[in-house]
Amino acid sequence: MEQGLLHDFEARCTQEEAPSCQSMCPLHVEVRPFVKFMAEGNFPEARKILDRLMPLSGVLGFLCDGPCTAHCRRNTVDGAVNLPMLERACAELSAFVKPMSMPGSGRKAAVVGSGLSGLSAAFELAKKGYEITLFHAGAPGGRLLSLPTKQLPRNALPDALEMLERLRVTFAELPVFSSGRLESALADFPAVYVGLDDEAVQSSEYGTALLEGGLPDPLTLAARGTDVFAGGLPADAGPSFILEAADGKKGAASVDRVVKGVPAASAREKEAVYLSTLYTDVSSAAGNPAVIPADPAAPTAAEAVAEAGRCLQCRCLECVKHCPYLARYKGYPKRYAREFYNNLSIVHGQRKANTQINSCAECGLCAVLCPYDADMGAFCADVRREMVRDKRMPPRHHEFALQDMEFSNSAEVAFFRLEPGRSECGWAFFPGCQVPASRPEQTEAAYAHLRHALPGGVGFFFSCCGAPARWSGRPALTASTAAALREQWTINGKPVLIVACSSCLAFFQAELPGIPARSLWETLAEFPLPDAAGPAGRTLALHDPCTARHAAPMQENVRKLLAAVGQEVEELALSGKQTRCCGYGGLAAYADRETGDLYSLSRAGDTRNTLLSYCVVCRDRLRAAGKPSLHLFDLLFPREDAGQAALRPPPGISARQETRLSFRRSLLQRLWHEPPVRNPLMDEILLRIDDAVAEKMEMRRILRDDVKAVLLYAGEHGAMFSNAASGRSLACLRPRQVTFWVEYSREEDGPYRIHDAYCHRMVVPGVPGEGAPSPCTVEGYAVKGGRM
Amino acid sequence: MSTADLRDTDAEGWVCVTCGTALERRSVDITYMASVFKVELPRCPKCGFTLIPPELALGRMLEAEKILEDK
Repeated sequence: MEQGLLHDFEARCTQEEAPSCQSMCPLHVEVRPFVKFMAEGNFPEARKILDRLMPLSGVLGFLCDGPCTAHCRRNTVDGAVNLPMLERACAELSAFVKPMSMPGSGRKAAVVGSGLSGLSAAFELAKKGYEITLFHAGAPGGRLLSLPTKQLPRNALPDALEMLERLRVTFAELPVFSSGRLESALADFPAVYVGLDDEAVQSSEYGTALLEGGLPDPLTLAARGTDVFAGGLPADAGPSFILEAADGKKGAASVDRVVKGVPAASAREKEAVYLSTLYTDVSSAAGNPAVIPADPAAPTAAEAVAEAGRCLQCRCLECVKHCPYLARYKGYPKRYAREFYNNLSIVHGQRKANTQINSCAECGLCAVLCPYDADMGAFCADVRREMVRDKRMPPRHHEFALQDMEFSNSAEVAFFRLEPGRSECGWAFFPGCQVPASRPEQTEAAYAHLRHALPGGVGFFFSCCGAPARWSGRPALTASTAAALREQWTINGKPVLIVACSSCLAFFQAELPGIPARSLWETLAEFPLPDAAGPAGRTLALHDPCTARHAAPMQENVRKLLAAVGQEVEELALSGKQTRCCGYGGLAAYADRETGDLYSLSRAGDTRNTLLSYCVVCRDRLRAAGKPSLHLFDLLFPREDAGQAALRPPPGISARQETRLSFRRSLLQRLWHEPPVRNPLMDEILLRIDDAVAEKMEMRRILRDDVKAVLLYAGEHGAMFSNAASGRSLACLRPRQVTFWVEYSREEDGPYRIHDAYCHRMVVPGVPGEGAPSPCTVEGYAVKGGRM
Repeated sequence: MSTADLRDTDAEGWVCVTCGTALERRSVDITYMASVFKVELPRCPKCGFTLIPPELALGRMLEAEKILEDK
């Protein structure tokens, strides 16, 4: 993957951006952890956070003017968090911990002026091991000396000065800052910082001369030549202690660079304040008005804790809040994108992100929720294509889905017929592969209704659209599947397709834009309803399928149909454009069953009402998650047992395939009078499988046809083991990349009793199917393969 | 060639129907994703038909397959 793609994605996900309070703080104090510790009453830890970036917190902690508060997200709720109050409380209630100063580096620098900016510069450089000489006139402290003790406690400044002395700062008093004397004193130092917030410096001959050439460079504070830096001048709004401290810190960094021979100006943009792009939704923030301390000069611990508790701890996580997949891995899209990118680059070693990459439903919800349109699904799709291209895609993740697709597109299942009795059709009904597999009678009823409603003939096109090829990252297979569809469509007179499944419709629009295709629901909404259509007799929560997320007309037509039926509908909080996925999208549930279940369970938990979907896979997955669920067909084309429809269990993988076969057979027989084509031997084998074994087979993705193929092969070739003690046989067959084993016995009346069925992918010599001729190529074994 | 401990496979009582022979433990090379493992497995001494018990297929074999697929 090109790095540009990663960087573009990373730039969209702002979760790692600093909150605005931090980005707009001249010192970039890490406000979130600071306030979090304050809220916990853990003042020593809060102090450590403060000390990390704030010079002389024992002084500045009392004086910070809090420019951050103007940018606090709580302003739009009930007022900013009072950071200056929290800093004051922290400085008051915790002890300053002397910083670990580097051992003497032998480096020297000078500071002129003992206002807050000069003291801050001296502090920052001394921490780095510099021997600092600080030139001052009169008692050190500048403007700090004149502050009332209510504002700055009596001991704060003396303590700070003492600490500076312990950090090897030498205070050198000069009675007057005359240019000549100072210049000669500074001649011994490679670089100097001048704190102009000290009145004695600013008004001196030296200070005036320094500013004659203009104001210091805002980026580096360079004031003269390459070795004199100056700061601490009041801003337009007046003097500000935090700006003075920030200048001292910035000037110290410039001095340090000059002394070390590093360019003073390079890569310093991030030191300035900036507006953060971090998005935080505050619409659901509960009201919690600001705490007014009884004595503003001395907030109590309880007051500070309460005020800190108002902090929203700004984060984005808009997508993570609503996506069980993104939440599952405890991160956020930017981090995942980096991990996936690295996963692609691994040459030796485990590619640990494979399962994660393949269990994203690619449903698009994150992109809709993201204020900057970061689409994790689209990113995963790119990564999957690259994995396939590099032959790094784990075979197990998508194989079953692809073989199921192959089955649905095989001559045994797929067909296109013009309406009986017609030689051309303006329309063709395309139900997809899953609707007939789950709702065969109703698919047939819908087809009859369309034939009745639409003039010009309605053909029937039974096939899988190819969505699994696309989801699994296989462009070549996607293209060949689409080409086959186009060919059938062309041969049959290029009718307008009426598509029952939103995934199919999305696939047609993306891969076959030249084929006119419209939603079944749109078509049905244009005509009188079927006679039998009716409401469910209770409110239904409407679940829009994720593949209809951007199909607003389809969503509207479904609602129109429901209104026409007289159905009472609950609109879910996340619906329409913001709907959730059932876990089938992107083949997520195939790559990782547990993540797939998390998707369906989250959706099932969104309502107490019975769910209604117009995607049959959604309906069946939501039902499998324990939720009473209906498909729109259950209202429009109800069966006789309509009252039980919401509880009907979803068909398993074998039943789906068998229903596709029987659906085709019966439809072709009834409407076109065509005899069935299928190896009759497969249907002659009768299986008895109890529920426990059937469930194991479902989990292991072993079809009943797989079992039959093993039995058929064993019966014809005698390749099996037998066990006299148990009276059972054990046979196997490797029709494709999977070896199936079946443990069975013969019942007295003929059928096979299946005791166990299991499979593996490793290749074991001496297993039938290894080497030619493979039995799977024998017409009629019809093994679709499956796996764990 | 790698070796893997895929033993502890119980195949007590199974007989190869084609040869009418009891199975014996033999070293077998099983392969996957360009890796070869030498494993002792119950095998028909006459025709070589090899038995993979469920606990092996669904346990250590599955684990090994997944590791190899993510390599």
